Amino acid sequence: MMAALGRHLAVLACLISATGAEAAKLSAMVFGPDAKPLPNAVVVAVPEDGRLPPMGKIVEVVDQIDKEFVPYVKPVRAGSYVQFPNKDNIRHHVYSFSLAKIFELPLYKGTPAQPVLFDKPGIVKLGCNIHDWMIGYLYVAETPYFGKTAVDGRVDLDELPAGWYHVRVWHPRMEGSEDTTITRVDLEEATPAIIEWTLKLNPEYRPQRTPLPGEPGYR
Amino acid sequence: MHSSPASAKPMTHRMTPLMLKRPLIYCVLGALMLAGSHARCEWGFDATGGFAYDDNLSNGFEAEDRKADTAAVIDLSAGLYEPFGASTALGLSLLAHGDAYVRYTGLDNLGLGARAQLRTKFGLGTRAPWLSIAAQGVYHNYQYDYLDGWQYEAGATLGMQLNERWSLRGIIRYDAYVANKTQPPLIPGMVGSPYDVYGWNFGAQTTFLATAVDRLSLSYTWRTGTVTSVTQPDEEILEYSDRAAPDPVFGAGGIAYRINANTQTVSLAWSHTLGQRSAINLLYAYRRSQAESDLGQYYSNLISVTFTYSY
Repeated sequence: MMAALGRHLAVLACLISATGAEAAKLSAMVFGPDAKPLPNAVVVAVPEDGRLPPMGKIVEVVDQIDKEFVPYVKPVRAGSYVQFPNKDNIRHHVYSFSLAKIFELPLYKGTPAQPVLFDKPGIVKLGCNIHDWMIGYLYVAETPYFGKTAVDGRVDLDELPAGWYHVRVWHPRMEGSEDTTITRVDLEEATPAIIEWTLKLNPEYRPQRTPLPGEPGYR
Repeated sequence: MHSSPASAKPMTHRMTPLMLKRPLIYCVLGALMLAGSHARCEWGFDATGGFAYDDNLSNGFEAEDRKADTAAVIDLSAGLYEPFGASTALGLSLLAHGDAYVRYTGLDNLGLGARAQLRTKFGLGTRAPWLSIAAQGVYHNYQYDYLDGWQYEAGATLGMQLNERWSLRGIIRYDAYVANKTQPPLIPGMVGSPYDVYGWNFGAQTTFLATAVDRLSLSYTWRTGTVTSVTQPDEEILEYSDRAAPDPVFGAGGIAYRINANTQTVSLAWSHTLGQRSAINLLYAYRRSQAESDLGQYYSNLISVTFTYSY
């Protein structure tokens, strides 16, 4: 009951903070199956008329810190470059087999000289060939109108041109396809839109960092 | 089988300093220092501690020879991991081990040693098969001098992640325990070093990620080689053994003797991850040894609860 109350308060907070915005604005709240706010969910708004602003060269960053990808989920616009600086004092070996981008950055320290271009929309699962438990995600969006939920499960998309949008949400552990979450909304300058999703989640199975007894060092 | 000597009585009641006289540890220490000066090396530390119960420490064939006890156990491993290229890495570790028994304190021991491991992956990603070749030597210092000695292991492990939840590995390993001292023979012509044992191990293990934080592991090992058992004086036993010596750790008048045996071990382990760096582990193992002679077979049940911290 308290979780449900908290959820309604969060949506109310969205409404209050969204009121008075001059540009078209979309506020989204994403919850997990237990009605708890869900961080790391990517909310994407695609204009129905297909008009997208031109983009210059964008360079985003996904760090490697303490043998983890930081951030765990990073949304970028298709056509962006991403740098993968290694901020550990050891070497990492970053790779992806995802159809949206197959690439490999063999063992390195520091920042690779060339960022990687992500020009195809889709989900790119990142891994490290040395530390199998390291997993991260790039969400390559076909639109510049996207955001990632914070720990309170909320994300605000500001400065959206007025018009009809298809809005959807994705999370690394979500059950089913993100296409099932598509919501059609009409964004008007004076009327902020509020969208709320509750996602069913799968467990995240990844190699464990702690070795089993009797297995010193790396597996 | 006992991977370390089966029994002993404290003939010296004070721990003597560990004798680091073998070159293996010096070599690994030197390699660690050399590699440690290399900035790319990755350092790691694992500590596992807890309690272990064995209902047949003495490897007894007869009910009256079976001796059960619980020990506090600790295993430490600290070392470096150095990748060479995209697929191969060398691991060098210093190892420390300790057992402290509730009842049979003659089996209390401290061990110090080193391990070298070369691991190569056949491809990229978590599902690429991998091969690990490892060798280690640990010197065990017991309260009972005649048990002191080196435990050696060398072998290869072939592993593969089948999917995101299942993994499989096959293991082949040679183990040997070489005691420092030889006791006076029980009877003329017999060698007094029953604790020197060796064997070949062939095993398979599968691990299943039951939840995001719970691992279940099932393993089977078949070992052929020599084992040490302890019994009360029994002249008939000596007909089956080539090495025997007095071993009073489980009681006055005990005899330790070495025989050839085939040992099968089935174990089931559960590991629950706590945060990123630690886990609590529960293990049950059933071990059955069949003597190559007419002695028959003995069995053991082992249970352990441990906590692992990994940095």
